[in-house]
Amino acid sequence: MSTGGYTTRVDAGARERALKILHEKFYDVLKDVVEGRVPRLVIKKRTLSNTIYDPERKLLLLGDATFERSFLDLREARKFMQTMLMASIIYEALTQGEYPTIRDLYYRGKHTIRYRKIPSKAVGEENTWDEQAESDSVLRDIEVFINVLREEMLVLSKEKGKVVGDLRIRSGDDVIDLSKMGHGAYAIEPTPDLIDFVEVNADFVLVVEKDAVFQQLHRIGFWKRYRAVLVTSAGQPDRATRRFVRRLNEELGLPVYVLTDSDPYGYYIYSVFKTGSITLSYESERLATPRARFLGVMMTDIFGSRKLGKSPYLSEEERRSFIIRAKERDVKRAKELREYPWFRSERWQIELDEFLARRVKLEIEALASKGLKFLADRYVPEKIEVGDWID
Amino acid sequence: MAAVEESFKSISAAEFFYKNKEIAGFSNPARALYQTVRELVENSLDATENYGILPRIKVSIREMEVVPEGAYYEVIVEDNGVGIPPKYVPQAFAQLLFSSKYVLKQSRGMFGLGAKMALLYAQITTGQPAEVVVAPIKSKRVYGFKLKIDIGENRPVVLGFSTTSNISGTHGTSVRLITLGDWSRSKQRIYEYMKRTAIVAPYAEILFRDPEGNYLLFERSIEKLPPPARETLPHPHGVDIETMKSVLKSMPNSPLAETLVKSFQGVGTATALRILEEARLDPEKMSGDLAEQEVEALVRVMRSYRDVKPPRADHLSYLGEEIIVAGLKKVFEPEFVAAVTRRPSVYEGHAFVVEAGVAYGGKVPVADRPLVLRYANKIPLLYDEGSDVVFKIIDEKRGIDFKVYEVEFPAPLIILTHICSTKIPYKGVGKEAVADVPEIEEEVEAALRGVLRELRSYILRKRRELEEVERAVEIAKYIPEVASSLSKMYGVDPREVSVKLLEMLNSRLRSFKIADLGSVVV
Ligand SMILES: Nc1ncnc2c1ncn2[C@@H]1O[C@H](COP(=O)(O)OP(=O)(O)OP(=O)(O)O)[C@@H](O)[C@H]1O
Ligand SMILES: [Mg+2]
Repeated sequence: MSTGGYTTRVDAGARERALKILHEKFYDVLKDVVEGRVPRLVIKKRTLSNTIYDPERKLLLLGDATFERSFLDLREARKFMQTMLMASIIYEALTQGEYPTIRDLYYRGKHTIRYRKIPSKAVGEENTWDEQAESDSVLRDIEVFINVLREEMLVLSKEKGKVVGDLRIRSGDDVIDLSKMGHGAYAIEPTPDLIDFVEVNADFVLVVEKDAVFQQLHRIGFWKRYRAVLVTSAGQPDRATRRFVRRLNEELGLPVYVLTDSDPYGYYIYSVFKTGSITLSYESERLATPRARFLGVMMTDIFGSRKLGKSPYLSEEERRSFIIRAKERDVKRAKELREYPWFRSERWQIELDEFLARRVKLEIEALASKGLKFLADRYVPEKIEVGDWID
Repeated sequence: MAAVEESFKSISAAEFFYKNKEIAGFSNPARALYQTVRELVENSLDATENYGILPRIKVSIREMEVVPEGAYYEVIVEDNGVGIPPKYVPQAFAQLLFSSKYVLKQSRGMFGLGAKMALLYAQITTGQPAEVVVAPIKSKRVYGFKLKIDIGENRPVVLGFSTTSNISGTHGTSVRLITLGDWSRSKQRIYEYMKRTAIVAPYAEILFRDPEGNYLLFERSIEKLPPPARETLPHPHGVDIETMKSVLKSMPNSPLAETLVKSFQGVGTATALRILEEARLDPEKMSGDLAEQEVEALVRVMRSYRDVKPPRADHLSYLGEEIIVAGLKKVFEPEFVAAVTRRPSVYEGHAFVVEAGVAYGGKVPVADRPLVLRYANKIPLLYDEGSDVVFKIIDEKRGIDFKVYEVEFPAPLIILTHICSTKIPYKGVGKEAVADVPEIEEEVEAALRGVLRELRSYILRKRRELEEVERAVEIAKYIPEVASSLSKMYGVDPREVSVKLLEMLNSRLRSFKIADLGSVVV
């Protein structure tokens, strides 16, 4: 097997593992053809109905329902061809020591099939796939089918997660000191599994949804003062960020606190870190951090709660200037969240009910506006200290 | 006011039709030329196939002289039929209402007018006599006549007679007329007539020479003749007072019961006795002794008598499904053809049989409406189609909805209808349209729906097959891609994989196979 000169040893090992599984799993297709059986792929369904919440492990998992993609089934023939095409492209990339992005895979596989219709004899033209959504979709099918995530197949995608903190990691052949990033931060690589933790001096992980707030906390030295690893997902978390956070929790035993906007979208971002996402539930097993804690911002942080014996962090006047009226779609989304099994806990129901009763939301930036010091030196440490988080 | 003395007189049949040529189809030179050809050809077909002879007919039209109304044409129609005994030739051709077909037996001819109208028109427009040559079957001699009609007296005038020995032993009739016509304005109709005649007479060989010198040969494509019709007795339901009187007059000295049994179909002794009982008549009474009221009573009972078998169809000579199919195939080379011959039915005591055919696709021209080929007693009906019973049935608004049969216009569809009966309810003696008698209408509709149902299953089957082909291509086009993917991963020969996959696909196809991938993949 040839591996390019730029490839590190870690990568080479990953390649070999991925190749072996890919080769074995698709071998059945070849066997079917050779032995005269209709080739088919049996793949787990990636649908909402086949997404199951496991309350024990606190994970969103893919159920056992499968579908069959047979080549001679008219509705599946095109997808079958695309799946085989994608498998062969990944296979070639792996053997040639390349690091294709999902966009590369799309371009490599895209070409025109010219065929003659019968009986009209008119020549038809059709692309192997037209949009990246199509190639992305079969890539996901392959991940599920062979049970290997694309990162493990050295397929890259654009990642936006960042991290700083007092820790040193090995990425490729370099050791990087994440405490020496200046005003910048370490961009989490698309294959976080190939990272080695060399040395860690931290007590917890704080994941901030908003990049701007991450930067503010970084500049005032939050992570140094409180021995934290500071991470941002810069919005909806990508897979690398989720995997990296998971490893921080699982391998280093660091508690993970998540700080998001106080609205249903913020709550859902937290739940993606914690239990996984509905559309990509097959990855939860490797990407979710079931012990991640929701630190805030909570509705009860804003308004206090008699039931919980909690006084608000914001004064009446501050509330008036910081909170925003919730939109119709926020309300709708909150109602959906309330029905998800992983939001069914009493604690979450209090927050969601409060949201639905007040119909207002609050961005984390608002807390920083109240005073960066308030956020860094009171709100966060105090809530961790008294244990005011949702598990 | 001075009283005007009305003058009364009677005219002969010849004079009547001379004055009313248009009711026999001779309304202008163009129409007359077409009608002349038609009448002569139909006589020739009657003289052959009705006697079990495979028809061989030659038709020739030549322009002789141009005149202001059109031109004078020589029309010759020659056949290999049974011929006519020489003593009947003058009357058969030159005395109106003289016919051998006034019997209960289906033939194209019916009125005893056709040949005479052609002669009459020729005579009054060009003044030339007709020349008729006959060689009756097994006759040792051939006879030639020059004939004209004495219109006032309705009598034949024989202007010349000759006879020669029949050396070659042939038989048949040849008629030559010089008549006024207009080829350019009747050309299309005449060709259409020839073609349509050929469709229902695929057993005939017809050679046509037109005035421009073109020859058109309709070859014989089937050796089978329709079963010849046999003469039959009248059915009780179709009897009227006049028929009854002539029946009784023909056997005055036989008892009533016996006369009924011998003169009507479907009437046995028991039936005869019951009829006579209902009519309060003595079965032993001599037939010639019936009073006027007694005849009327007898007719009334017979026409409405329930317990009698429906009229027989022995005297009908329908084409049969095989001949219709052969005819449509030969002329249109369609992709699909079907025919139906219905069982005999009755209207007003006359038996009739309806047949229908359908031709679809292939070389059938695509049109906004079905092309309708109407026939009655094997005669193509070309004019007055709007007033014909068939058009009522397929009328766009109120008639058959073709969509039900999976036909969406424009479409390549031909519909053929054939009504046979000893009494076709023509709308005129020109024989162009059939009246919409309810019983006939019902049968025509049933026949048409029958063939259309067959067409529908064909179209559906074809559509299914086409869908299967399309589906197969939708899969086959991906084979090379799948094969090359497998080859990249496992180093196998992509051609071998392709062959295997194609085999698999083919084994699942029912109506066709993809011979090789090259026919699909470009
Ligand atoms: N080509 C022929 N061969 C043998 N007989 C013929 C031929 N042409 C005419 N006849 C005889 O002449 C008769 C008269 O023919 P004509 O066409 O005038 O009347 P039709 O055929 O009986 O009735 P219609 O008026 O309906 O045509 C026929 O009944 C037939 O007996
Ligand atoms: Mg005639």
